[in-house]
Amino acid sequence: MATTTATITLSSTDLLSDELALSTTSTLTTAGTSTGVTQTSGLSRKTVTYGTSAAIVHSALYRAGDYTADKASKVYIKNVSTTAAEFFTIKVGDETLGRLYAGDWAFFPWAAASGTKETFAVTIAGSWAAGDTWEFDGITTTAANTTVADIAAQVSAQVYPNWTTTVSGAVVTFVARYAASDGVITGDTAITGDTLTSSSGTAAISGGTAGAGASSQSDISILPSVHTGMTYETMLIHE
Amino acid sequence: MATTTAAVTLSSDLLSDNMSVNASTTCMKAGTTADGLDQMEYGYVDIATGDQFDLIGATPTAGKASKLYLKNHSTDETYYIRIMIDAQDIGRLYGGDWMFIPADFHDGNADVEITAIGGTNKICYALFHEGITLVAS
Repeated sequence: MATTTATITLSSTDLLSDELALSTTSTLTTAGTSTGVTQTSGLSRKTVTYGTSAAIVHSALYRAGDYTADKASKVYIKNVSTTAAEFFTIKVGDETLGRLYAGDWAFFPWAAASGTKETFAVTIAGSWAAGDTWEFDGITTTAANTTVADIAAQVSAQVYPNWTTTVSGAVVTFVARYAASDGVITGDTAITGDTLTSSSGTAAISGGTAGAGASSQSDISILPSVHTGMTYETMLIHE
Repeated sequence: MATTTAAVTLSSDLLSDNMSVNASTTCMKAGTTADGLDQMEYGYVDIATGDQFDLIGATPTAGKASKLYLKNHSTDETYYIRIMIDAQDIGRLYGGDWMFIPADFHDGNADVEITAIGGTNKICYALFHEGITLVAS
């Protein structure tokens, strides 16, 4: 079993009339057990820079949908900047956790409560001809033959920027990569952004429910305070 | 000025090579390099299971460099406290775990809320800050 420890030392000789000396070590275990955590993102370091006229926006560090919710995950973030006035604003979901000024670090548990991913199915049916196309999410599939199951397999084999797929016969099920309420699903039988080019083949949408998606409630994001390069280091320890 | 240092060491053998991360910061007032945080409150409380409390009763000044240390001293590994800020679920602090965060307290709802789960949790906390607004009696 892996052993991961986190030690904090808080010390001051002049904050109080007596010396402050606090040190404690925690062995990081999986939720509710004495078994050590076994997974980590590893330590990463990144500099974020914006053009002088560009809007400074939050950058996602960790998306809740990528991790199991309500475990004993821990997040470490450090602002590597040495300029005192520069800070990162740390957010969990929409809530501001606080500001990490130059040299400051944070270490905290993370609930990783995800939202709901949109999903829908496409059924390849009718009379398709080789060369017919179906486009979605910027990806175009061109039918290699007239067999609907083969075409469905082609659709599913594509790599979509924002969706994952599975296929069963002539039915391809799409699931959003990230939880969001961006409204791609517009009804039980409709989505936005798909284009069918076929004389008589169909790519019927089913299984979608408008408004079914919901944004994640606890993605961790950071916002630098200045346009010039600010650097942070971060690590996630999780189950 | 007061000089308070917060240091962390993370070490592990869960990777194929040993991992050790060290960081240390002197807790300064917001945006300064020469003026350390000079106020703190410190507490140790037992919280019965199911109860939810605002851990910080007063309101520290918003948008500053406040730091909050929190440790769950419970020895039962199944006990935990749920940490929330303004109803946002932050995470679970299991028995023996600790956290250290910048605390923004951006409005009156941004209290640090804790809920004990599993049994009576023993919580130690320390808040380093630049000033607070006491709750009127």
